[in-house]
Amino acid sequence: MPPLLRVAPPPDPEVDLETVYDAVIVGSGAAGGTAAHVLTARGLRVLLLEAGRKLDMRSELKSMEWPYDHPRRGEMPPDRHALSFNEYTIRQPPYAEGSPYGRVHSYVQGWGGSDYSRNIVVDEKDHPYTGTRYAWVRARCLGGKTNIWGRLALRLSDLDFKARSHDGYGEDWPIAYADVAPYYDKVDLYLGIAGHRENLPHLPDSLFQRTSRLNPSELRLRGALKRMGRVLTPYRAGVTTDGLKHNKYRSRCLGRGACARRAGGCDIHAAFDSPTGFILPAADTGRLTLRTNSTVREVTVDAATGRARGVAFVDTETGQELEARGRVIVLAASTLESTRLMLLSRSPARPNGIGNSSGHLGHNFCEHVMGPGVLGLVKDMVGRPRTLDDGRPGGFYIPRYRNLSDRHSRFIRGYGFEGAGGAGMFAGMATRTPGFGAGFKKAVRDQAGAYVHIGGFGEVLPRYESQVDLDPQVKDRWGIPVLRFHYAFGDNEKKMCEDMADTAREMFEAAGIEVLEVDRKVLTEGWSIHELGTARMGGDPKTSVLNAFQQSHDVKNLFVVDGSSHVSASCQNPTWTIMALAWRSSEYLADELRRGNL
Amino acid sequence: MRRRDALKIGGGAALAAPLVRAGSSVEAALGSSPPPAPRFFSADEMALVDELTEMIVPADAHSAGARAAQVASFIDGRLADAFLPADAEVRQRWRNGLARVESLSREMHGAGFLACRAEQRTAVMARMAANEEAPKAPEELFFRELKAQAVRGYYTSKIGIHDEMEYKGNTLLAEFAGEVPSD
Repeated sequence: MPPLLRVAPPPDPEVDLETVYDAVIVGSGAAGGTAAHVLTARGLRVLLLEAGRKLDMRSELKSMEWPYDHPRRGEMPPDRHALSFNEYTIRQPPYAEGSPYGRVHSYVQGWGGSDYSRNIVVDEKDHPYTGTRYAWVRARCLGGKTNIWGRLALRLSDLDFKARSHDGYGEDWPIAYADVAPYYDKVDLYLGIAGHRENLPHLPDSLFQRTSRLNPSELRLRGALKRMGRVLTPYRAGVTTDGLKHNKYRSRCLGRGACARRAGGCDIHAAFDSPTGFILPAADTGRLTLRTNSTVREVTVDAATGRARGVAFVDTETGQELEARGRVIVLAASTLESTRLMLLSRSPARPNGIGNSSGHLGHNFCEHVMGPGVLGLVKDMVGRPRTLDDGRPGGFYIPRYRNLSDRHSRFIRGYGFEGAGGAGMFAGMATRTPGFGAGFKKAVRDQAGAYVHIGGFGEVLPRYESQVDLDPQVKDRWGIPVLRFHYAFGDNEKKMCEDMADTAREMFEAAGIEVLEVDRKVLTEGWSIHELGTARMGGDPKTSVLNAFQQSHDVKNLFVVDGSSHVSASCQNPTWTIMALAWRSSEYLADELRRGNL
Repeated sequence: MRRRDALKIGGGAALAAPLVRAGSSVEAALGSSPPPAPRFFSADEMALVDELTEMIVPADAHSAGARAAQVASFIDGRLADAFLPADAEVRQRWRNGLARVESLSREMHGAGFLACRAEQRTAVMARMAANEEAPKAPEELFFRELKAQAVRGYYTSKIGIHDEMEYKGNTLLAEFAGEVPSD
């Protein structure tokens, strides 16, 4: 099947670095794409800088390539290596140091065909980091991680925004659900989201397009959970299932599969990615200038005024050192990279980095903890005719049920589960099916559609001492100091994970699903790829880096619109919230610029 | 993200430790054409791997098996393209493993594996597979490795995906499979 991208992207305009742009955005993922869209729609002239290269979306997104059409059935060339759980566990960063392989990639390469995303994520050899163990997944290319994201698109609620008021830990966000809800709506309508209304106060519904469906195993689990006062809802996917009249670059979801193999990217862009969702439409306004292969090394400051003047960057193809200037600087380089950039923007007047008068920059890091889950077999489904369970954007989501109105005795906050039942493209369970011969082959065939699995995502508490800073010695390929981690899961996370495994089993047993395996292992810090915090928002400039509009307390024309601004992690996947907040802040930015306040 | 079910059910990446770090470039040649000449295995070893993999995933009334899917060529290619010095150990494990199958066969039946009758060969493999959950003996350890690669080769092949597993992907569906919750 040929790729279904309907309209070719326009050619790149010449990049003029003499101009002072209205805004310079650093990073082209979920946050930077949102800012590019909103600011150009408001009439601003925007320069968007991306550290990586532009992917050829027609040839490089291989979500539908058959394994047997690939020269190595989806595996990377011999001289490349994807880090394993074991390597993250027994070694310390930098993980690629001393590796005999030509290139080393993060663990996501081991996720559904290592060759399908090696063009999207970084080579760990070029981009080291140090300190405590952390599985840091970075994508440097136009669109960043949105090219391979998991697509679960959830809202936060006031249980998350006002978590301190609920249980006394940490800080409340300086905003409430009511502030963000209109922007969640805008993101829903502009990008499209599939889901089923549940009317849950702690997991607000979006403005849903056509939902994906549940197979019999999943409906059975949903029924059992309902009797327990819990919910299983079809995967809320950041995927347009009905199409978008305003976006000519994206097709509606055609239910083809193979959606379990996210690593290839969605070749028809039904799943949101920043290039087709935001950046190409923004370029069509004529007000967006895009420059790829532009790795920013610091925010430059006008010494006389203390205002941000622009950004210094290296052209990674020519090695040229350049500066781009803007009236406003918008950092959207991803949670940890934006913080790294602010830490790097040091001067005698700001020895600890730009926007860091609070001393909180790099602190209060948080994310999601993963690992515990359960695998089961639904006996009634054995031997049933095959259905295309893998043609859906996802299986299901089980929202948080801990610490809503009750209070758990061992931990605060909560966790949710992602899961799915049914067969995928590859019969991976065959290695776990005992025996050989005709009986083995039949068992693999008959059972493939009968498996169901869930895995938890839990809130990691932000702690002041959970920190990243700059390594005094180690530098990346461009000579830029790298991040050093000072971070590990704490007691609350460990106790939460025990409960995750226990309740996962309890739910399967309640549904009469045969439990094949309960996984109690906690995966390495970072595994969720949901890093958050380190430049948190707040009302008090002494204890926060940004205000409620993601604007630096110290430097008024500096905004940080990605996940680094988040005050706490909640347990919901962050992408939709990142985009809603970036949208809100970008509107504020445009208004303030027009009023002459920036 | 659905990393968990990718890991567990469908994605396949985590299915087993990779045979070696790399794969083969002979894949493109696989299909209805005759198998290419082996690049790593000797002709005798190749014939043995071909029979062993076919015994793990045999042809049946439902679909063709590992032989038709040229799984032995898949394994040969992966071993031939091994990259690291560490991969040399993997190669040696296969050499030793195949030799062990031969010696086990002679111990049990007084003849090499391919010279045995079908039920004798099955008895040899049953011995190899006896302790699949917690293998200890050399032939038991080799069976795990052999089976993991037979599975990898077969279920990523055209026969394995389409004929055997009847995977429905890469077709246009007007509506998703399954049901919308009624409540």
